[in-house]
Amino acid sequence: MISSRRHAWIAAAAWTVLSILGIVLVAGIQVLPVIASREAEIENSAFVLLTVLSVPVLMFVVVGLAYSALRFRANGDLEDGPPIHGSRGFQAVWLSVSFVLVIGLFGYGAIGLIDIRGAQVSDFEVQVRAEQWAWHFEYPSAGVKSKELHIPVGERVHLVINSDDVIHSFWVPAFGIKQDAVPGHPTQIYVTATVAGTYPGLCAELCGFGHTDMHLTVVVSDRSALEDWLNHPPPPDDSQPPPDGSEPPR
Amino acid sequence: MKALKPGLTRAVLGAAIGAGVGVGSLALASTAGLLIEDGQILGLGYLLALIGFLFGLGAFRFWLTWAAGREINVAEEHAAHGTSGDWRRYIRFTTDHKVIGVQYLVSAFLLFLTAGTFAMLMRVELAQPGLLLGKEAYNQIMSTHGAMMITVALISIIGGLGNFLVPIMIGARDMAFPKTNALSYWLLPLPILLVAVNPLLGGFDSGWTAYPPLSQQANLGQQAYLMAFVTVGISSILSAINFLVTVFRMRAPGMSLMRMPIFVWALTVTATLMLVATSVVAGAFTMLLFDRVLGTSFFRASRGGDVILFQHLFWFYSHPAVYIMGLPGLGAILEVVPVFARKPLFAYPLAVLSFITIGVLSFMVWAHHMFVSGMAEFFHIPIMLTTELISVPTGIVFLAALGTIWMGKLHFKTPMLWVFGFIWAFLIGGITGVYLADVPTDIALSDTYFVVAHFHYTIVGGTIFGLFAGTYYWFPKITGRMYNERLGQLHFWWFTLAFNATFLPMFWLGIEDMRRRVADYPAALGGVNLFVSIAAFNIFLSVAVFVFNMVWSWRRGPKAAANPWRAHTLEWQVASPPPIQNFDEIPTVSAGPYEYGGPVGAPAEGRATP
Repeated sequence: MISSRRHAWIAAAAWTVLSILGIVLVAGIQVLPVIASREAEIENSAFVLLTVLSVPVLMFVVVGLAYSALRFRANGDLEDGPPIHGSRGFQAVWLSVSFVLVIGLFGYGAIGLIDIRGAQVSDFEVQVRAEQWAWHFEYPSAGVKSKELHIPVGERVHLVINSDDVIHSFWVPAFGIKQDAVPGHPTQIYVTATVAGTYPGLCAELCGFGHTDMHLTVVVSDRSALEDWLNHPPPPDDSQPPPDGSEPPR
Repeated sequence: MKALKPGLTRAVLGAAIGAGVGVGSLALASTAGLLIEDGQILGLGYLLALIGFLFGLGAFRFWLTWAAGREINVAEEHAAHGTSGDWRRYIRFTTDHKVIGVQYLVSAFLLFLTAGTFAMLMRVELAQPGLLLGKEAYNQIMSTHGAMMITVALISIIGGLGNFLVPIMIGARDMAFPKTNALSYWLLPLPILLVAVNPLLGGFDSGWTAYPPLSQQANLGQQAYLMAFVTVGISSILSAINFLVTVFRMRAPGMSLMRMPIFVWALTVTATLMLVATSVVAGAFTMLLFDRVLGTSFFRASRGGDVILFQHLFWFYSHPAVYIMGLPGLGAILEVVPVFARKPLFAYPLAVLSFITIGVLSFMVWAHHMFVSGMAEFFHIPIMLTTELISVPTGIVFLAALGTIWMGKLHFKTPMLWVFGFIWAFLIGGITGVYLADVPTDIALSDTYFVVAHFHYTIVGGTIFGLFAGTYYWFPKITGRMYNERLGQLHFWWFTLAFNATFLPMFWLGIEDMRRRVADYPAALGGVNLFVSIAAFNIFLSVAVFVFNMVWSWRRGPKAAANPWRAHTLEWQVASPPPIQNFDEIPTVSAGPYEYGGPVGAPAEGRATP
């Protein structure tokens, strides 16, 4: 007969080993498939931190379940277990740990949030307009309109988003930004692209029949290339062929 | 007409007359030159059909007699309670809480199968990239699947198991308001039928969330869904009042609040949430209906309405609703654990407190569904805090379950297997929930399959695993027969493996940018989606084993003893199935519900009907 203290030690040892193994496995992984902006970098580190913290929590419950399933079977024994109604100490530790974890996560999340959405300043502004089922971009500084989004690399870009009809959502996965386009209610988001290239974007909010194919393309280039493009504006909106949707390197 | 007694035939006739009057009068007005829209015809037709149905069924006859000041026919009132062994009581306006419980439970499982069939169609479309059924058909199937499954999660445990068991568990002969109880059940068939036939009205394709303006553009099927949802809401509110009065006024002597089984506590908090929150969503949906049918502009941006206001009102109900779905499941799980671990429920007072805290906090987290919606900027921060805080009381459920299992004497009967499956699934749901509560990660994950995977892990993991645990556990009590243990275990393993194989890969799909509510996806994700579809079909097959086991065992299973699990709670101290009045003599309760291993026996041993 193993004492209750001994059971606890064996399970705790298994938990420690598995947690360390798990943390080593997940620390430093890249979760987001493509990272091409400061915002996506912040989000990826948040992903990694949450995953690292999840490992010991997951392992605690899994080890507890597995150990009990292996060692505490009745095997036909009709006796009852010990009449334990609770343990003040254990309950207090459990509550304290979960409370501290939550406050820590909240603090970290709040910092990340302010990093992404704070500081209402920008180097470049684009007006985004959504309709069923297409995206339109307008560059107030140059008075140019386009069907592809062109932004400079390494600069904080302010996107002001509007919708003509229903709710859409402006989403560029590689930038880790997503913001609903709401009729009658302009919304905004900031992004600092870090890698030049062409990236796909898509509508993330169900907006009717054409939602599936409501894609967009973002071209990130250095400032001079962008100025060139703005000085030789593309043909007016309607005559432009749809973006070819070429995939960026992954 | 006098020969036609209150009953289903008269109810169908009443519904037909109501629909006829509603549609006919507006059609007449239309031919007279008035400007009438189809939606207005559907609205009046449905409203009058519902009233005609309930009148035909005899739902109001006792109240009307009473209101008219006439003597109530006692024999008729008695007959409405039903006679044991008479199957027709299950299709009548019967006031016995046990009959109503079975009505709810069977209806919920039928709806579960229907909605599950829709899920299979979704997985057929998604098995390969490209389109098979088509975008519009997919969105309608997806929306109907969601609307129906939400209803299953809302009614199955509290309506089914709750109605059957709560009065017995607290030592009462029935619910406080048996006629209201029957009314809450009979309010459901018509709206559920309306959702089921919505494709005939053009379907609805905006999802169960029905966000305007998309839902204002959509056709009549959308309106059918809104009306059905409001009706289900009325049923919920009636049911909530009934549960609360029953629990607070009808407990047997000695059944103090802290001696109540944890399942009863879970349902008490659930009923409170239903009472307070449901009217908000019913209000929001009614405003949306008015926008469509009566020309108002609450949510019409083009005429000064506010689109985001709808989302606030919707989620102010619909997040508590997640707990309305979840808490009964958690309660059922914690009810099963002590019996099969042969130990008292660990930290019972803390578990009660955690249910109450979840209930309170659930009203303060709604806007975490709106982190990318464009709501007030500062509001992200307090909502992120409250959302993460709710994991503390939710974690107590794991503490209680694990603490009870630890050092116990575990009997791995089918209900206990579902407990283990639940802990795993709900844990994955909880951990992945943190990624969605954290704004930076949620921006990336919002509207992707990560969300789909997460809420299936919480709602299937919490509610459906709890429902299966509870259904197997109480099957002998409800039917008086034992289910087949081997088929039960087969169902558990098959379902649980298939469930995890279906939804675990979806987290990855979400991170790989697969959007929810879309019939097509990038070709590169085809392999994983095919795997997911095959796993999903296996879920369906495993449920077929469950259905067979239930139907066969109900008819042919071996007779069950009064207390086959040697449980301590009151429902096991009466015969299986319980006699029509539950108790010959109301028991006096002298101990808590989970005194396993102690010197005290069952809480009312020897006092209840053998």
